[in-house]
Amino acid sequence: MTGRPLLQWVGFVLLIGFVLVALVAPLLAPHDPREPLTLPLSTPTDDHLLGTNDLGQDVLSQLIHGARSTLIVAASVTAISTVVSWLVGLAAGFIRRVEGVLMGVTDLFLALPDLPLILLVLTLIGATRTNMILVLALLSWPAFARVVRSLVIVARGSPYVEASKAMGGSTSHIIVRHLLPATLVVLPAKLVLTTRYAVFAEATLAFLGLSAGDAIGWGAMVNLAFRDPLLFSRPIWPWLVLPPTIAIATLILATVWVGSGLTNGPRPSRRRKPH
Amino acid sequence: MRLLSRYLVLALCVVLVNFFLPRMLPGDPLDFSSGDGLDAAVPLTASARAQLEAYYHLDESTQNQLRSYLSGLLRGDLGLSISRSAPVSDLIVDRLPWTLSLLLVSLVFSAAIGAGIGLAAGWRPGTRRDRWLTSSSGMLSAIPEFLLAIGLLLGGAVGLGWFPLFGGETVFAESRDGLTGILRGGLDIAWHLTLPAATLAIGGVSAFALVTRDATAGLQHQPWLVAARAKGLNERQVAIRHALPNLAFPLTTFFGLRLGGVLGGALVVERVFSVPGLGLLGFQAIGARDYPILQALFLLSSLAVLLVAFLVELVYMRLDPTRRSRQ
Repeated sequence: MTGRPLLQWVGFVLLIGFVLVALVAPLLAPHDPREPLTLPLSTPTDDHLLGTNDLGQDVLSQLIHGARSTLIVAASVTAISTVVSWLVGLAAGFIRRVEGVLMGVTDLFLALPDLPLILLVLTLIGATRTNMILVLALLSWPAFARVVRSLVIVARGSPYVEASKAMGGSTSHIIVRHLLPATLVVLPAKLVLTTRYAVFAEATLAFLGLSAGDAIGWGAMVNLAFRDPLLFSRPIWPWLVLPPTIAIATLILATVWVGSGLTNGPRPSRRRKPH
Repeated sequence: MRLLSRYLVLALCVVLVNFFLPRMLPGDPLDFSSGDGLDAAVPLTASARAQLEAYYHLDESTQNQLRSYLSGLLRGDLGLSISRSAPVSDLIVDRLPWTLSLLLVSLVFSAAIGAGIGLAAGWRPGTRRDRWLTSSSGMLSAIPEFLLAIGLLLGGAVGLGWFPLFGGETVFAESRDGLTGILRGGLDIAWHLTLPAATLAIGGVSAFALVTRDATAGLQHQPWLVAARAKGLNERQVAIRHALPNLAFPLTTFFGLRLGGVLGGALVVERVFSVPGLGLLGFQAIGARDYPILQALFLLSSLAVLLVAFLVELVYMRLDPTRRSRQ
């Protein structure tokens, strides 16, 4: 019966672990992840615990530094996307003049299929880290802009907003002091879902070859491994494929577990997690 | 007709986005390919570049460019590939069957399996079975398709050796003449597409399961379910004969909505298994910075998603008398 809270704790611990690894990556990594050190495609040795890739780079060091680039992208995308969601949602919910335009744009964004658009834009402007962050952030705000707007619409009809208006509260005062707090219930869900989206998208794009040339990331590691047409005829393949894929899967599952109590909406569960 | 005009406006937006994106974003798309062979993925000579510029009317005003772009679209002209000397439309038509069959097969399977799981989960909401099925579906849907694909590839092809490692059909296969030859060819393709289709089906199951689960949970105290039980039907008969038809609405809607997501998944999965469909074409276009191909993929997939959404709404109106009368 207590499955959910336990998993949530596991998720938190894993996430904190990933963040710590990312923070101290240069201290933790045994080698420079970019330096070609020894023979390429070496199986694990004492010096290279996970072996080396086909450029002779240390896989373990790449894995550790990969946590850093993944989390930088995830954190930046989440921050920008959350701010945009709330700005659009608050504006569309309270300021009648902009409502139609903003919701039209939101619907257009929601209707377009993500991946082909991202592929096109990133190929055109170049897949640098900054570009990737901007593109992912600009594509991930619409869903929650709608949610925030619907919460604002509920709140703007409530007596305390009416009272504030009657007492001469300005638009900005009402938005910041009364409407914004009413929307914060969905903030944790937004943070978790967008973080997961960003990790998911960054890994997928890097796997498809869209990452800056010198970037070190888990998706890029898988991409490099799969560029070798004879990959599975080499006995070393598990050491090239498994570490980055397991890392991506673990990070994503951690966000799922952290979010398991937040994102599924009100469920008929009598036990609430102690927070 | 209001419905039709709304979708036409959206489609027009997509076409315009597709036209203006390469023109408004920083950088010159043709620059990528004009590095005199040094830094370019595909070296273009000055004359080839001039030819492309003339083809896209890049020396003319934006209005003229838009006009020729639109009239080209109406004729089915999607531009010229930069890395392959072929019109983009030919390349796409060649590869479309692969991606379409992957999409359809996987959507049908994930809808069927997802509906079954959702029905099992939502029949008694809040029970342990419901929570277990719901949370494991959620976990499954969070895993990126390329990881699922790699997992299945490692299990089914590398580990067990039951399925081929890559490709859409056996290269250098015996001739495909006659009935048995065609049959053998079909089986060969099915054998190659099993793992990619299974990946997409697994990836899509959870979304269908969650929708069905919520819809089923909403049916709980419907009087006609009580009546069906009072008639003496057992639970299985109640579920299949009486509850399932009522899930047709949400499932139809969702079948259409999923298309965009599955399409993205197919692009990625084709790369893992080297299925020669649109996804592999797009992947190769990324490497070659062949943006006309990527532009066409974006345009076609967006229009396809809009078309399916439109059809779903039409079907919905046909099926639902209350909506039809309001029209």
